[in-house]
Amino acid sequence: MAAPDDATPGEHAGHDPAVRDPEVRDPAAKRPARGERVVTQPVPDDGPHDADAGACPARPPRRSFLRGALGAGLTGAVAGAAAGAGAGYAYSSSQAAPPGQLFDANMVEGRLPAVPFHGRYQAGILAKPQRQTIMLSFNVTADGRGELTDLLRTITGRARFLTAGGIPPQAGIGGPPSDSGVLGPTVVPDGLTVTVGVGSTLFDDRYGLAARKPAGLTPMTAFPNDDLDPAQCGGDLSLQLSAGSQDTVLHALRDIARHTRGGMQALWRIDGFSSPARPAGTTPRNLQGFMDGIANPDTGRAETMNSLVWVQPGARGEPAWTAHGSYQVIRLIRMFVEFWDRVDIIEQENIIGRRKDTGAPLDANMEFARPNYTLDPTGAVIPLTAHIRLANPRTPQTEANRILRRAHNYDRGIDAVGDLDMGLIFTCYQQDIARQFVTVQTRLIGEPMADFISPFGGGFFFALPGVRDTRDYLGRGLLA
Amino acid sequence: MLTGPVRVGRVPAGTVRVGRVLAGTVLAGTVLAAGLSGCGTHTAAGNVITVSAGACGTGWRQVTAGMQTFQIRNSSIGGAEVDLINPASGAVYAEVAGLGPGTTRPMRVDLGSGRYAFRCLIQDTDPLTGPVVRVGGHHQGAPAILPVTTDDLLGPARVYHAYVSAGLTTLVRQVSVLTARIRAGHLAAARAAWLPAHLTYERLGAAYGTFGNYDTEIDGRPDGLPRGLSDPAFTGFYRIEYGLWHGQNARQLDAPAAKLDSDVRALRGFWPGMEINLLDLGLRTHEILENALQFQLTGHDDYGSGTTLATTAANITGTRETLGVLHPLLAARDPGLAAVSAGLDRLSRLVSAARHADGHWTPVSKLSTIQREQIDAAAGQVLEELAPIAAMTEPRRS
Repeated sequence: MAAPDDATPGEHAGHDPAVRDPEVRDPAAKRPARGERVVTQPVPDDGPHDADAGACPARPPRRSFLRGALGAGLTGAVAGAAAGAGAGYAYSSSQAAPPGQLFDANMVEGRLPAVPFHGRYQAGILAKPQRQTIMLSFNVTADGRGELTDLLRTITGRARFLTAGGIPPQAGIGGPPSDSGVLGPTVVPDGLTVTVGVGSTLFDDRYGLAARKPAGLTPMTAFPNDDLDPAQCGGDLSLQLSAGSQDTVLHALRDIARHTRGGMQALWRIDGFSSPARPAGTTPRNLQGFMDGIANPDTGRAETMNSLVWVQPGARGEPAWTAHGSYQVIRLIRMFVEFWDRVDIIEQENIIGRRKDTGAPLDANMEFARPNYTLDPTGAVIPLTAHIRLANPRTPQTEANRILRRAHNYDRGIDAVGDLDMGLIFTCYQQDIARQFVTVQTRLIGEPMADFISPFGGGFFFALPGVRDTRDYLGRGLLA
Repeated sequence: MLTGPVRVGRVPAGTVRVGRVLAGTVLAGTVLAAGLSGCGTHTAAGNVITVSAGACGTGWRQVTAGMQTFQIRNSSIGGAEVDLINPASGAVYAEVAGLGPGTTRPMRVDLGSGRYAFRCLIQDTDPLTGPVVRVGGHHQGAPAILPVTTDDLLGPARVYHAYVSAGLTTLVRQVSVLTARIRAGHLAAARAAWLPAHLTYERLGAAYGTFGNYDTEIDGRPDGLPRGLSDPAFTGFYRIEYGLWHGQNARQLDAPAAKLDSDVRALRGFWPGMEINLLDLGLRTHEILENALQFQLTGHDDYGSGTTLATTAANITGTRETLGVLHPLLAARDPGLAAVSAGLDRLSRLVSAARHADGHWTPVSKLSTIQREQIDAAAGQVLEELAPIAAMTEPRRS
């Protein structure tokens, strides 16, 4: 199972750090000395900004969904303008920094800058996993296409406001406060990203969207080692809220839910976190204690993302509206950590194919070294069944199978025998589920790792194209 | 059980801040020039508005449309409420209530173009209205709402009181049928009589607070009782439901039935002398369904009959009754009233679909996922639509 390390092959040809993921290329250089301010790039929207400032505040309605969706587009008019409308995300260093880069210092300060909401792509896809996340699936209860449109406009409007931050409107004596106040009187952006996907069930006969279904969108495939709980699988919509701290994502969830009660009902939910790098500068670890996502493709290279992550305009068989979206696979994977902790280190490392301490492939000394399987054809050093070797054989033929991993850890209590219920919210993005996730996962069937994990939920979704500007909304191309 | 949570409002039960007709002096319109035309950047930190025994709302300096924060300072020796009002209509844009002597609190408001004044209500003194200030430009700010007074609520309370009277009369009759059947050992017939009696009670949701302990005796849950379901203090409809649907015999049910019968008769006897808390009318417009969501739609209050959706339907009726008596006040105040009505219709339609032709109801645990999601979504949505009504109809001094 694609549990711990890199179900994704690194696509880097050699050990030259210059071609590696810029987010991790030279971690030490990114870490400021204690007390030093991070000045990586100009950040256009550093922190909360008062709705008083700048343009004329358009007073958003207290509730837009079913109280008239008119206001949804207005809600973020102020915020959106400040957040840099229309730009793509993450390719250019002149853009606002992805949350990961300013992570250390801002995490300590408890304050991450706003991540621009508007763009060609949804901002939460390429962004490195943030400290806190909430992953939810909803079934849509909206009655007809018009209400579905209201729902997506409302989610867009709330996301636009929440990601930019600002002061919520005042209710006066006409009702309860418009905001929960969980983040104080001013909503701070805290690096919030809101990522929305649609599941195959949304394309049934309810909304007349059957002809617009993304070509590769199906219900989630079950694999031999899975133990899927239907109550924690699938759904019409996926919603992921990620930010620097837990109160931020919970605030966002309460806000979005409050504005969309009639339009959707949560089906399943799981909260996750990403650990700090230990030691600093390395790739964060999952709950098996191994670094997770070392070999991800380079999100800084548009060319790579266009061949692996984003559905391209004019892609064969795909409806036009899917361009700049991406297929999202979510797999909820329990890890039997007590069992795992009773396994000796040699066996653990052979199961993964990497050193537990440094993250290095077993045939090398450095975390980002490329394993050389041609020199090890019988698996004498890295077993043929090692997770990283099955997931990414590093051959020219398997390059197109790579995925972008965006996993978080989860921890939610205990099971019937008192063992800890923790594991991984495995999330990955790709251009084509069959060519990428399913192919990789099929290679992993029967891997030794399978004894220590149990996939129990999740779903296949299509992450919508980004929202271009204040007039645009999530799913406009799908519904127009 | 107290189906509506008791809230301590700013207005103590029954007694409401006495609505004196505006006795304060309205200082003639001091027009402060409006700065910007529609919007601007200002935190208005300098706008400290002072309230004292002889002055109200002095301290306006720069006045521009858009978001403003006033710092309201109480320099008097009593507690104060300060409202920002439309001086022509008395409608309130924003309020700071419970402002202690010597304290300062911010008041945030989105000021539109128009005329404004502060009105100060200091404890034990007559209301005082400060200078009228004009804000220029063409900005549409936050709307103002006409405050509701105690007098406004007396009529609706009378109508609601009569509705409850009629309901209690029906209740007494239905409970006596239920009791007689239990006493006679006709338990199947008793099961048939239980539901209509319980639903009659569940339609009276805005009065539970007034019923006081009777509500606990008549419709209480075993939650929190030391011996739970077998606790002698567990009485009323749910106690009888539990017995009727868990194989208890007439002898075991006789005492609970007799007690319910005597409780509803006593309640009907006392009701003419009981006064409805005026604050409750508005609060119950959403609290009745808050409780339905918490206890009925979750199945929590299913003690065997599987009729929590029937209870929900009765609670919808109770909510509509409350809205009906308040309608004269809401029509001019709540722009979302049509959405409330549509939301209740939607919820009602979805819930009613769980009732079968023979009169039995699908228990919530047997609903399909889709049915359940539709009902829960509709309930959540209409609760959001209902929520502002409690704030709008809270009785205020004028």
